Amino acid sequence: MPDFTDALKPAYDGAATLVEERNGSKIDVDELSKHLLSRDGFLERQKRICEVLESEKLFDKSQQMNLSRPDRYHLGLARAKAIRRLVHKHNWGHEDAKMAEYLTDEMSPFHLHLTMFVTTIREQASDEQRAYWMPKIMGWSILGCYAQSELGHGSNVRGLETTATWNPETKEFEIHSPTLTASKWWNGSMGRTATHAIVVAQILVPSPSFPTTLKSHGPHPFIVQIRDTKTHLPLPGIVVGDIGPKYGYASMDNGYMLFDHFHVPKTAMLSRYATLDDTTGTFTKRGHPGLVYGSLTFVRANIIMNARLVLARAVTVAVRYSCVRRQFRDRDEKGEGPEMKVLDYPTVQVRILPLLATTFALHYTGEMMFELYGSTRESIEKGDFSTIAELHSASSGLKSLCTTLAADGIETCRRAMGGHGFGGGSGLVGINADYLSKPTVEGDNWMITQQVAAYLTKKMTIAVEKPDSPPADSVDELFQMYLRERDHRIPQNAIHGTQIDDKAVVEIFQWRAADLTYRAYHARVVEKKPWNSLLIQLHELSRVYSEQILTTTFHRALTSSSSSSLSSPTPSVLRTCFRLYTLYTLSNSPLPFLTSLAISQSTLDLLPDTILSLLAELRPHAVKLVDAWAIPGYLLDSALGRYDGRVYEDLYDRAHRKNDAMNKTIFNVDWRSDEVVLGSGDRGRGILAKL
Amino acid sequence: MTPNPPWVQALKPAGPQGHELLQLERDKSSVPVAKLSEFLFTKEAIERKRRVLKVLESEKVFNKNQNYFAGRVDRFETALARAKRLRQLKVQHGWNQEDSIVANDLISEPGPYGLHESMFLITLRDQGTPEQHELFLKKAENYQIIGCYAQTELGHGSNVRGLETTATWSPEDKTFIIHSPHLTASKWWIGSLGRTANYAVVMAQLIIDGKPYGPHPFVVQVRNLKTHEPLENVHVGDIGPKFGYNTMDNGFLLFNHVKIPHVNMLARFSSVDLSTNKYVRPMSASLVYGTLTWVRSHIVLQSGSVLARGVTMATRYCAIRRQFQDRDAPQSEKGETAVLNYTMVQVRLLPLLAATFALHFTGQGMMRFYAESQKKIHGNANTASADRGAGPEETHAGSDSLADLHAASCGLKSLASSIAAEGLEVCRRACGGHGYSSFSGIGPWYADYLPTTTWEGDNYMLSQQVARYLLKSARSVKKGEKPTNDTTQILTEFLARSDMGAAFDIIGKDEDLVAAFAWRTAYLTFEAYKHRDEEKKAWNDLLVDFYRLSKAHSQYLVVKNFYEALQSPSTTDVLNEETRTVLHKLFRLFALNTLEQESSEFYQSGATTVRQIILARTNTVMKLLKEIRPHAVRLVDSWDFPDWQLDSSLGRYDGKVYEDLFHRASELNPLNAITVDPYPESSVLFKNDKSRDFKSKL
Repeated sequence: MPDFTDALKPAYDGAATLVEERNGSKIDVDELSKHLLSRDGFLERQKRICEVLESEKLFDKSQQMNLSRPDRYHLGLARAKAIRRLVHKHNWGHEDAKMAEYLTDEMSPFHLHLTMFVTTIREQASDEQRAYWMPKIMGWSILGCYAQSELGHGSNVRGLETTATWNPETKEFEIHSPTLTASKWWNGSMGRTATHAIVVAQILVPSPSFPTTLKSHGPHPFIVQIRDTKTHLPLPGIVVGDIGPKYGYASMDNGYMLFDHFHVPKTAMLSRYATLDDTTGTFTKRGHPGLVYGSLTFVRANIIMNARLVLARAVTVAVRYSCVRRQFRDRDEKGEGPEMKVLDYPTVQVRILPLLATTFALHYTGEMMFELYGSTRESIEKGDFSTIAELHSASSGLKSLCTTLAADGIETCRRAMGGHGFGGGSGLVGINADYLSKPTVEGDNWMITQQVAAYLTKKMTIAVEKPDSPPADSVDELFQMYLRERDHRIPQNAIHGTQIDDKAVVEIFQWRAADLTYRAYHARVVEKKPWNSLLIQLHELSRVYSEQILTTTFHRALTSSSSSSLSSPTPSVLRTCFRLYTLYTLSNSPLPFLTSLAISQSTLDLLPDTILSLLAELRPHAVKLVDAWAIPGYLLDSALGRYDGRVYEDLYDRAHRKNDAMNKTIFNVDWRSDEVVLGSGDRGRGILAKL
Repeated sequence: MTPNPPWVQALKPAGPQGHELLQLERDKSSVPVAKLSEFLFTKEAIERKRRVLKVLESEKVFNKNQNYFAGRVDRFETALARAKRLRQLKVQHGWNQEDSIVANDLISEPGPYGLHESMFLITLRDQGTPEQHELFLKKAENYQIIGCYAQTELGHGSNVRGLETTATWSPEDKTFIIHSPHLTASKWWIGSLGRTANYAVVMAQLIIDGKPYGPHPFVVQVRNLKTHEPLENVHVGDIGPKFGYNTMDNGFLLFNHVKIPHVNMLARFSSVDLSTNKYVRPMSASLVYGTLTWVRSHIVLQSGSVLARGVTMATRYCAIRRQFQDRDAPQSEKGETAVLNYTMVQVRLLPLLAATFALHFTGQGMMRFYAESQKKIHGNANTASADRGAGPEETHAGSDSLADLHAASCGLKSLASSIAAEGLEVCRRACGGHGYSSFSGIGPWYADYLPTTTWEGDNYMLSQQVARYLLKSARSVKKGEKPTNDTTQILTEFLARSDMGAAFDIIGKDEDLVAAFAWRTAYLTFEAYKHRDEEKKAWNDLLVDFYRLSKAHSQYLVVKNFYEALQSPSTTDVLNEETRTVLHKLFRLFALNTLEQESSEFYQSGATTVRQIILARTNTVMKLLKEIRPHAVRLVDSWDFPDWQLDSSLGRYDGKVYEDLFHRASELNPLNAITVDPYPESSVLFKNDKSRDFKSKL
């Protein structure tokens, strides 16, 4: 409906502002985008799939924030099905379907079917089991989920309470939940969607000599049908449902499940790496114990690779909006010029621009992780298990650091945008809520750092005991170098006047990591301090070690041909990002750098001014750098982060024209009347019925 | 939805039960919980809470069961029904202002009458003349009109002078014309405006004869009192869903040349003379900015209890949750360790527990300080300097205590709300996976609290005002003027000792610990002075320094307030020695933990050595964590949050964490009354949807 507000324009023209910003930097955005995102045709695919989704009404995002939890799931299921239909219609491949879910930007109720469910079957099922299950999975005649976490246990897999007891008479397993805390919990796609589940349960086998004594063989995956394929009701002996609303993930039906002496055939036990002898009851495990963690490592590697895009989204919104937003005139300027762009305030720069630099740090480490995962999988297929420990440790430490950086980064960006950051139009509400699951899932960010620390301490012990043995990898090299030099270390200068010595920066991060490892080694191995008293120190070690990986990898990438051959000024701007990321990280916790003798006091003293000038150096390129991340407007779903800068027009449009749910209802606000909706005459009974 | 089958109902959590574990925790410490609660809140306040809670619990409309499930419109509708019922109860039970505040705290959701009952009434009262009180305030107090406070605009928040809405004086017909010249002039974020209010106090640029006089408050009717439809040329609505605060109808508002009579400009401090058409200048602006100072001081006071809710839930849950066996435990001890025994959980939660008390005492100190300075102002309101600027944020140099209070309230609002908001997220993450469930109670509470970090002055923007004040104080000290308040006192001491240096024994002596914080503030103040006044650096280039300075100053104030509260006779007379010892440990933990986090500023300023910081971290803090640990549950108990208020599975007083999570998931969850058709080729989504009946049956 037309009204007097149609003709109104914002006081400052946001579109013109962003054009001006883009004219102020010579970065070739397309070239940088391709450098960042061309693997597997990402950019082409993103564009192609986005066009399809934007033309489908079901994928319109404008109303979803108003919906109740059941309605969000309803919508999520409808979209999940629609994506499958689009797969057929457009002949999409697996990567295309994944892209559609990524762009839709909500967890699909089918998500687990195509990730942990199928991965587990692929990796842990015997050839025979694969042959039976894979066609059903790929043909969507069953829908799967992965049930590991329980109400009482998450990170500690060994502590799981669900049991699978072998009955040698009937040749069946009996799956059972002995307590309430044994209830499966948090398992995605299980609440309302799945027909089948991978259930991780403690295998109990009666001892052949004393049949009443049960021997535990630890947690093991089973494939179990949980719902009737016709009625979709739970099978007798199973109680299963959705666990209720969460911080985010509204479209996903995370579930709970309990078993009452539920019988499954022997073939339910996935048996690629373990077998049970029918007659003797002997349970045999094959392969490397680390293999069970294979799919978890894969999930973590994926989370690490995804972190850059998540943070890039938040930074894109924050950079564009804070160019358009203006606030106060410069105090030192007299006269009546326009107010300052918020991004010209150093207090805003210092929050947003280091995060912009961090997106690139995360990028190169994500790429490195991808390669490492690929090469490790190849070795495993060839029967070489020697690299699993390194992959496992790197993936734990980096998962913890990268998800913390991204999650905190989203929130920093959101707050840097002041009041409008809190509104639905920021586009950061959903991503924040969904992403906040990451620091605690797939290994809690604090808990899993113990794994990194344990690995590093072990490596250091070996380096101390055999300082001259040939190093197996870069970690050995670093530790051996450290042990040789530690008695005559001279703290390094990384800043000389206005010059930054990049190699020295890398060396400083490496030295600090080696030094903290040595301290942990000394405390635990030499002084035999209790593990629990060291946890804070070990957490710091994991972070420091992972920061060292980010720094080293970023620096290596700068000197690689694929980035140094980019057209000017991109290589030097990326170098500025490297410096800003590293020096900002350093300035956040300078003490361990200082006490480990990694860095000189004079370099520390120069940090604040150096960081300010790096911010100023990066500032003119900020808009083009975020453009290079090529986040489609459909994915951003943000008034503040619009590519064209029409921030206020869009905010108003969302409030005024797309908010009928609230604005078409006239309420009765007189407290004396129980009626809530004016003219409804229901005396408030409608809303009471919903409570 | 069918109730859980008998075999499920019979299940218990594994291992020791939650209520047993919390009992063990409570047995480990003899901190007298009730006594400490009374000390923190007074006996009267606690009794009031019990009395009001009883009424609310018995009313179906306040039942919180479906809060976490409902959509935006239902949430708002419920909130409106609750706001109405609450008003009816007030009348019925003769509740006073304090009773209402308690009721709102217990309900714990922002309500559609929220801004009517706060800023609308306050502004009418504070800024209206007796005639205007008669005309507007009386009706507002009787809820004949429902109002809100419309200041923030789409394009402007913190910079009040930049507001675009105009109120142009029309001498011909003696009216003001309220107008929105741009889209960015739209009022935005205004609480209670979207669907509820029919009146608004509108802040608009006063223009007389083409000349602007800055922002002033006007009372404007926005909706018809019968039909509740917007008036002609007024465009008003709700701004849509948000991160949190979804029970509140934050609104937008645009005017197309709307005329209002002369009497609608709130005229206690400034006005337009009817006969001369001239602007009448404000008598004294200090009273105007008094309100903001009060609001900010109140935010400081609240921040302690806001954070304490998160700490309560996380502490109780972490005392029950078990995870992994201690690596060093002997084979015979099979049980897993309570998460709260992990040092890496303690180091996140216990400093926050300490912060709740630190903020509470600081807030109380601020409120006292405010009351004292209000007395002083009212004592000599007429002699106050008349040449103050009209803006609420203008302060005068140096010595008066009001300026000190104003600066303190800006800095502390910024620090305290940041500590509380970030602390809640730390609590949520400390709960691991279950922290992500809405039933944790922490996430929704955090989401509703977040706007506090930006409203009433953005936390970063506010820091400039603190810096400005400290710079002025530094100038006065440099000139050799005598110290007149605490700020000038610590600056003077710093200058006097700067040739000798400090040698604070931060680990051994409490006074030295406080002095180290003062020293760092003074050091950073004079550094800023050097950059700005001597080196003439640009204001904008110093903003990061100013932010750090403001934070340092505010941290000093918190540490000092905490310390002084423990020394005061009102504490020592009431609390027994054990309680005081525990509080003292909390003080040390808060101060040393803060010091460690900001370590570089402390050793750069020479307040401490690097060695001291390392010792504090590796020895003292670790020891304090260990000593405070046994008292953690009793300390959070003393914050006295009823379960009904917390609405949290994880934070239940009785420790029935798993039972409650399971009950809410299985028996209160409408999604489980829906059976779906999951196969992609079928277009049927829900085979069977009983969720509606399910809700009405409850």
